[in-house]
Amino acid sequence: MNASQNLIQRLPTELGGLPASPIERVEHQLLPWEKRCHALADVLDYHKLINTEEKRCGVEALGAEIVGALSYYERWIVAFANILFRKQLLTPEELAVKMDEIAARHTREENT
Amino acid sequence: MHIHDHTPIVGPDDAPSYYEVMETAVRKLLIEKQLIGPDEIRRQIEVLDSRTPALGAKVIAKAWLDPEFRARLIANGRRACEELGITFYDDTELIVLENTDKIHNLIVCTLCSCYPRPVLGLPPDWYKLKPYRARAVKEPRKVLAEFGTPIDDDVEIRVSDSTSAVRYLVLPQRPPGTEKFTEEELASLVTRDAMIGVTKVSTERRNIQ
Repeated sequence: MNASQNLIQRLPTELGGLPASPIERVEHQLLPWEKRCHALADVLDYHKLINTEEKRCGVEALGAEIVGALSYYERWIVAFANILFRKQLLTPEELAVKMDEIAARHTREENT
Repeated sequence: MHIHDHTPIVGPDDAPSYYEVMETAVRKLLIEKQLIGPDEIRRQIEVLDSRTPALGAKVIAKAWLDPEFRARLIANGRRACEELGITFYDDTELIVLENTDKIHNLIVCTLCSCYPRPVLGLPPDWYKLKPYRARAVKEPRKVLAEFGTPIDDDVEIRVSDSTSAVRYLVLPQRPPGTEKFTEEELASLVTRDAMIGVTKVSTERRNIQ
């Protein structure tokens, strides 16, 4: 099997069986926004807006380069945004405007 | 549980990161469009905070003491956990894998990070990172050795790969010398890592997670 055939047989997130480094038992307490992001995933699933399978596919669709560059919950929130655009539940413009508004406030989240 | 948190945690000038801003923006837009309720994220955070390995440990201790419960747990993990009041908020099935003298079970999610969250809470980072996901299915004996868990050559290692719909929980072996332990004492020995299968339950190592 040549290199390109190898590539197409694996999704960017399909790691089972690949060579990898020794395991480091790293753990961290989730940051508040990471926990909100996790809760958002569950709530999106309850409402049948984005299920677990769609979320995983959404992360895969980011491609290996982005998957490699973003942290775990960064991938999730970007994938959610893309899926919501595709389902026409949000538009990129709405998100951009809202993000500018929030960044401009430059204050801590009110968690509402 | 009080989760309203004003403590600044990001950036030298408290500015939220780009992705944190994105999370806030997506959430606020979904609420404005009434696609989700205004209070749902907070309530789900409370659910997440209520799930810790202590729940799984309670299930394991009961299974050690009550053979009929253990049989029901192995027949249908989710239903047996629900008997103990543990709800499954994520619509997943649970398969409980029993360790014996001849079989050692290990769970992994090679594709992402599927994990028995209703009974263990959220997975540790190492469970979600490449080394564990890549190697657990290929060289489990070496992986277990790295966790300080040597497995004898005559013991079969079974690795179960989780999916979005089917999750696994390891029923570890009850350690010797615990015949007189109460259910609570037994539960205090059962660690998260033992229920993932990367360690064994021991009377020497109290639950430190």
